[in-house]
Amino acid sequence: MAHIHLGEGSFPLWALALWTLIGTGLIGVVVYRIRKGGIETRQIALAGIAGAASFAVFQLNIPVWGGIHMNLTGLVGILAGPLLGALIALVVNIFSAALGHGAVGLLGANTLVNASEAVVAYYAFRTLVGLDWDVFPASTGAATLGLSAGAVLMGAIIVVSGVNGSALPRADLTVAVAGLVGLNLGVAVVEGLLTGFVVQFLASVRPDLVGLVDRLGRDASEVTA
Amino acid sequence: MLSNHVPDPRLVTAYAERRDGPLHHVNPWTKLGVVGALVLAVTVVDRAAVLAGLYAVVLLVYVTAGLPAGRLLRWYTVPMLFIVSVAGPLAFLEPGTPIGGALATPLGDVSVTVAGLVLFLELGFRSLTVVTFTLAAAMTTRYSDVAYVLGRVLPRPVDQVALLTYRFTFVMIETLEDLVKAAVARGGNLSEFWSNKRLYARILGMTMLSAIERAERLVKSMEARGYDGDLTLYGDVPRPPVHETLLVGGSYAAVLGYAAITTGVVL
Repeated sequence: MAHIHLGEGSFPLWALALWTLIGTGLIGVVVYRIRKGGIETRQIALAGIAGAASFAVFQLNIPVWGGIHMNLTGLVGILAGPLLGALIALVVNIFSAALGHGAVGLLGANTLVNASEAVVAYYAFRTLVGLDWDVFPASTGAATLGLSAGAVLMGAIIVVSGVNGSALPRADLTVAVAGLVGLNLGVAVVEGLLTGFVVQFLASVRPDLVGLVDRLGRDASEVTA
Repeated sequence: MLSNHVPDPRLVTAYAERRDGPLHHVNPWTKLGVVGALVLAVTVVDRAAVLAGLYAVVLLVYVTAGLPAGRLLRWYTVPMLFIVSVAGPLAFLEPGTPIGGALATPLGDVSVTVAGLVLFLELGFRSLTVVTFTLAAAMTTRYSDVAYVLGRVLPRPVDQVALLTYRFTFVMIETLEDLVKAAVARGGNLSEFWSNKRLYARILGMTMLSAIERAERLVKSMEARGYDGDLTLYGDVPRPPVHETLLVGGSYAAVLGYAAITTGVVL
């Protein structure tokens, strides 16, 4: 899960207001669509507990490059879908900011980044599965793509906003942020791979969770035939 | 196996429930208001000395509230990593007078400038000020009060998702911890990722599976109790007393006044 890797007060006031407005707009649209379409108790419970699991997983230290943490946002998108995935991204960011990971003022920007990860991962997974890819490469590719999109968006948000108090020209800031985006792309590959294994595991025990019941049934019938 | 540099929500909640410091008696709405004022302050204030003073005041509040200073230093790891990852390169790239000598690299001479160092310090003070206060607020606000405020502030169905997430975070952390302990007890080695990636995937997969199955059981119990889109909150957080309201209002007024003076809006 990429984050705006800046602390509180790093963006100028106009940027803070801009990303908060856009983030609020995104969540407004999601809430409107959920309310309009109706939401089942099952979806509320899934979103709530998937959010808790995503938040809990962050506590685990993955020993890569000295230790990284992940929220499995791509996995959350694949399992919960784009609308609930965006809501979960917001909720996880609220709790993370309350514990010093992320920033209260950057909730809008961070929600945009993480919602994009969930949304891209979901649609990429559906597309790849539709193209008859196996579960592992489809989920690994989709999660990596989603997380990479989030990392690039994160870099773009920083470059557009600028850093409070810095006199650095945008071109030089882009160079500084490019290294961070590159590092996040590396983490996206690790998290994507891990997501692939997790989805493969889930598909083996509960194919209904990843929407693969029909496909596995078809595969089974093909084998039987 | 779980990180000690990431605040454990169970410990944070234990401090809120079992300790009784001065900040425990402050109204949760007041703390929320102060967080907003601090976010605005660290965004608007542009002088390192003022930011350092603000951080010192917040740190004093944290320590006075009887909260653990040692743990706070470990919990600074993640926000500091955030600062270093962007402000670190900026300290070298920022135009200005170099400090000491320049380091020769294949890309040319590199040196930290005075402006770069000041920027680094400013970003550090900005971030740590709000992190310290939000942690202090989280560690002095009871579970039921946090749930009540979440339920009031967020629109439906975000509030429902947030309340369930908050409620089940503790359970999911224990599930994850149990899975890690079980893997280690069976000879699993989690110190190296690449050779144990499938073990990590199983632990995380089981955590997600456990979450989903728990959600399925929860649906049955929610529907059996007549859930209609509203998780009833039994707590109540009253409006803050007058002196706290004045404190919050004064904080915003001070920040806006500072902004007006420094930007020359008020002459």
